Amino acid sequence: MVLSSLFLSGALAILPSAGTPTLAAAQPEAVTPALPEDPAVAQALAPCAAIIRKEFSQVLAQASKRIPRGKLGEENLLGYWVTDLMRERASRCLGQPVAFAFINSGGLRADLQAGPVRVADIFELMPFDNELVVTEYTGREVLQLLRGGLIKKAGEPCSGVLISLQGTPERPVVSASWLQTAPLDPETTVLIATTDYLLASGDGLPTRGRSKKVIPTGLQIRQILLEACAELGSQGKSLPCPAPGRYSFAPGMLEALLERRIAW
Amino acid sequence: MVDRRAFLGGLGAAFLASRLPLRAESSPRITLLHTNDTHSHLEPLASGSLAGRGGIARRAALVKRLRSQGGNLLLLDAGDVFQGTPYFNRFKGSLDYKLMSMAGYDAGTLGNHDFDAGIEGLMTALEEATFPILNCNFTWEGAPRLGQKILPWTVKTFPGLKVGLTGVGVEFHGLVFPKNHEGVGWRDPVAPLGAVVRRLREVEKVDLLVVLSHLGLDHHGAAIDDLNLARLVPGIDVIIGGHTHTFMDTPVRVDDTHIFQVGYAGVNLGRMDFALGPKGEAIACGSASLPLVDRRG
Ligand SMILES: [Zn+2]
Repeated sequence: MVLSSLFLSGALAILPSAGTPTLAAAQPEAVTPALPEDPAVAQALAPCAAIIRKEFSQVLAQASKRIPRGKLGEENLLGYWVTDLMRERASRCLGQPVAFAFINSGGLRADLQAGPVRVADIFELMPFDNELVVTEYTGREVLQLLRGGLIKKAGEPCSGVLISLQGTPERPVVSASWLQTAPLDPETTVLIATTDYLLASGDGLPTRGRSKKVIPTGLQIRQILLEACAELGSQGKSLPCPAPGRYSFAPGMLEALLERRIAW
Repeated sequence: MVDRRAFLGGLGAAFLASRLPLRAESSPRITLLHTNDTHSHLEPLASGSLAGRGGIARRAALVKRLRSQGGNLLLLDAGDVFQGTPYFNRFKGSLDYKLMSMAGYDAGTLGNHDFDAGIEGLMTALEEATFPILNCNFTWEGAPRLGQKILPWTVKTFPGLKVGLTGVGVEFHGLVFPKNHEGVGWRDPVAPLGAVVRRLREVEKVDLLVVLSHLGLDHHGAAIDDLNLARLVPGIDVIIGGHTHTFMDTPVRVDDTHIFQVGYAGVNLGRMDFALGPKGEAIACGSASLPLVDRRG
C-alpha cells in the first residue's frame, strides 16, 4: 500500500517534496480554553497532587541571588555550587581531602531562582537518583577531563581547580592549578568526586573503560543538596552564589572555542 | 467566551478536515492521536512560556470528546513518559501509566528516561499500564521478565481497517545509566524494524503501519533518526516521534512516510487522520497539533 501524498487542511495542500510539511499549520493562536478536565482522571490525580504539594513545597532556605547554569561559554555557577558540595561531602565522608569534583552540565536540569528554595526546586534541578562516588585520578587525567569538557561544552562545572585556556587557536594550551596551591602535577594521584552515572557511562572520561577503584559514598547528589539547603536554612543563612572565575581564557580564545575554530 | 474561534482552534483544522467529503464516502477512516515526552507532566506546566498548557486530565477530556464522535481512533505515545516532575520521583512512573490507562491510551513505547527507575522500577510501573508497550529493537536476554511485558508489535482491528503498530527506541549509550538498563540491549532499528514491517504487511495484512519512535526526528547524521528510518525502512505509513521534543505544526513527509512529533510535556495532542482509498491505500487527510490550553485562556 502506498500512502497518498495528499493532505487536506480545509484547503488542498500542494503535493509536498520529501522533508517538507505535508499540511498547512493549524491555528493555535485561535485557541481559547473551555476544555474541562476529565473528572475521573482529575479525581485520581488529586490525592497524589496533595502529597506532592505537601512533601515538595517545604521551604528549605532562601537564595539571595539567582544561581544560574549559564549559557554555553558562560560559567556554570549552579554547577560550581553543586560540585563544591560534592567535594566537601566526599572529603567529610572519607576523612581525607578530595581535590577535585566534577559533573556534567546536562545533569543539572534547572536554574535555582532567587527567593525561597523549596524541596521541589532541588528535585527539579537534580531529578536523577545519582550517587556521589570517589575515585583516583592522576593530574594528567584531570587535565584530560577538563580539556574534553572545553571541547564539548566550552567548559564543564567543577570544583577544586582553576582552569586556563591559553595559546592560540592553532596551538591551544590547557592548564590548571589546584586551588590555593601549586600547578597540577600530571603524575600525582588525587582523590576526585563525581557521580556513579558519569563514572559508569560518561562519554569522554579519560578513564572510560579502564578499571578504577571506585569508593561509593551511598549519598545521593540530590540528598546532599537538600541537606545543605536545610542546614543553611536552620542557621538563618541564605544560599551563597559561587563567584565566577574558575575558567579563564586568553584574549580571543573563548570566541574561538565557541566558534569551534580551535585545532585540538 | 466560548466562541467559534475557540472551537476552531481547540479542535484544529483536522477536525474540519475530518468532515470533508472523501472520494469514497464510505471508506474506512481512522484518527491517530498522540503524545511524546510527557515526562511526568501530569499537571499543566507551572512556569515558562508554555505555563498553563498541558495536564493529563484535560488531555483525557479532549480524547474522550474526540472518541465520542464515534470514529475509529487510537491514542498513542512515543515514550519518555517518566522523569521531569516530582510526580516521577515520588510515584516512580506508576501514576503516569495509571492515568494514561484511564485516559484510554491504546499503545506506547519506551524512551530512554523510562529506564530511570531501573528494570525493576519499570516493571512495577508497567503493572499500572492496561495498554501494550511496543518495542522491536531492544534485546531482553538479560531481562526476560521485562521482555515478556514488552510486545514487538501489535495489530488493532477496526471495521474494514487493520492498523499495525510497533515501536523503536534510542541507543542507551550516553543516555541511560548502565545499571538502569542492565540486561536490555540495543540494536540498530533498521533490520529488526524491517522484519516487523514485513510481518505486519505480508502476514498480518495491515492497512496502516504506524511506528512509535523514540529515536528523535533529526540527529544530522550523528545517529539513526526518524528521517533516516523513513528512508531506510520502506513500508511505514506513519512515524509518531519523540525524544527531540520537536514542536511540529504539521507532519513532514519522507518518501511515503509521514512523521509527526508534538513537543513535550503533553502541551499538545497530535492528530492525524487517514482514510482507505479505493485500492486499499491509506490517504492522509488531515493533521493538527492540538494545543491543550489553560482554563484561564
Ligand atoms: Zn528521550
